[in-house]
Amino acid sequence: MTDQIRKGWLLAFAASGLCLVLLVAAPGQTAPAASGPGHVQSTASPANQSEAPAANAGETIFAANCARCHTPPMTLNPRVTGTILLHMRVRARLSRKDEKLLLQYLAP
Amino acid sequence: MTNVSVSWRKWKRKLQLIDLCSLLGMIRLLMLPLCVLVGATVGKAQDDLPADTTAGYVPVISGAFAYVQNTSGGVQSLVPQIVPVLLVPMGHSLLLESRVEFTGFFQRENQSSGPFSGPFVGKVYKTVDYAQIDWVAASQATLVAGRFILPFGLYSERLAPVWIRNLQDMPLTYSIGTAPYGAADGFMLRGVAASLPSASIQYSAFMSAHDSTNQLQANRAVGGDTSIFVPSKRVEAGLSYQRTLEGYQINNEAAYLSWQPQRASIDLKAEYDRNHYGDGYWIEAAHYPQQFPVAPDFFRHMQLVGRMEQFFVRNGGGHGDASVNEKRPEVGLNFLIRDDWRLESSYGKLFSQRGNSNTWNFGFTYRFVWPLWPGRKS
Repeated sequence: MTDQIRKGWLLAFAASGLCLVLLVAAPGQTAPAASGPGHVQSTASPANQSEAPAANAGETIFAANCARCHTPPMTLNPRVTGTILLHMRVRARLSRKDEKLLLQYLAP
Repeated sequence: MTNVSVSWRKWKRKLQLIDLCSLLGMIRLLMLPLCVLVGATVGKAQDDLPADTTAGYVPVISGAFAYVQNTSGGVQSLVPQIVPVLLVPMGHSLLLESRVEFTGFFQRENQSSGPFSGPFVGKVYKTVDYAQIDWVAASQATLVAGRFILPFGLYSERLAPVWIRNLQDMPLTYSIGTAPYGAADGFMLRGVAASLPSASIQYSAFMSAHDSTNQLQANRAVGGDTSIFVPSKRVEAGLSYQRTLEGYQINNEAAYLSWQPQRASIDLKAEYDRNHYGDGYWIEAAHYPQQFPVAPDFFRHMQLVGRMEQFFVRNGGGHGDASVNEKRPEVGLNFLIRDDWRLESSYGKLFSQRGNSNTWNFGFTYRFVWPLWPGRKS
């Protein structure tokens, strides 16, 4: 009986995962990143065209990676940004390129 | 006989000198390229970093303070917690980091018999979660040495900190892959194997030695974790494996999924864990009502959480896992006063073959990041 219940839950779990994958795989219009409480605003000036792509890329990496585990901080003291990003690079297994773009986004 | 003895002693002395000399030579031989490698890496890392950033690299103390009032099966517990994290960077490629937990656990004196009206008694427990040095050896590889959290599943490394977890109760399967100490003493290589705009593949591989030192206990084990993340869909799927190499040598396995759809502010996470003593899963959804029709500025700070989890005993269970089948649905309501202050509440019902019980949690968490050294300001 217990095995049957277990199998039932495992099947439900697998089915949920399959539905999730199908939902994700379905084509759809991509909306802008949701800005929850604590969303860090990009500080890049639109006038500075050379910095804007890097800032956008940094914002994308920030929204995709940091928000996976926790609500992002509203503000971050520039003095600690390098240290925190080094810590998060190890924890979140980011590449050097991601770290650079995040530095440019968070402490331009 | 005496001549033979003297001759042997001379040879022994010579052999010891040769051993010592060759050992020192080997150390020198290893140290030289190591210094060159470290110097080159640090230098390269400094060159790689953007010159126009205002980011500072000063020592930091971060972490969290939490207070939770838990009522489980009618027994009340007060659980204050301070979890400081010390971060000391050495250049841009070396980081010394450590986290210690100070957890108070207080219950009424007559908590086993009732009527639960005695004074609160208890003690404060201290735990060294990790004390490690990280060396960013290459763009996609970091070498970690010391005591580190076991990279197993979604929860232990990433979601366990009190200010991150959405529900204060740990999942029923938490001890699978983390018991009994939750950390390893040894080496770990981790990083990103492939980082493309369409997807990235992360990895961790570790080996741990047996250690019985107070606060640094660890078992001999090997293991690893790998996950693939698709940034455009914000989907991550991963697998973890671990084998203990002492006592009962058992395998621990986990599979997990994380999804934050861009169209809705929902965070979905699920994990399945198994080992010799049991298996189980948890699935959790968290939602910030961004588009609430009434008082949207108030409700966007609110977080609704729901989790369903189940644990099934195998081979008698125990060894950190439950020894009977258990199931627990749980709901929570959290409110972010600011990004660093959070009020939290939750209710869960544990269905167990030993008896069902209700669990209530009320509390708050505060996270902090303080520089320990004056540095560059913007």
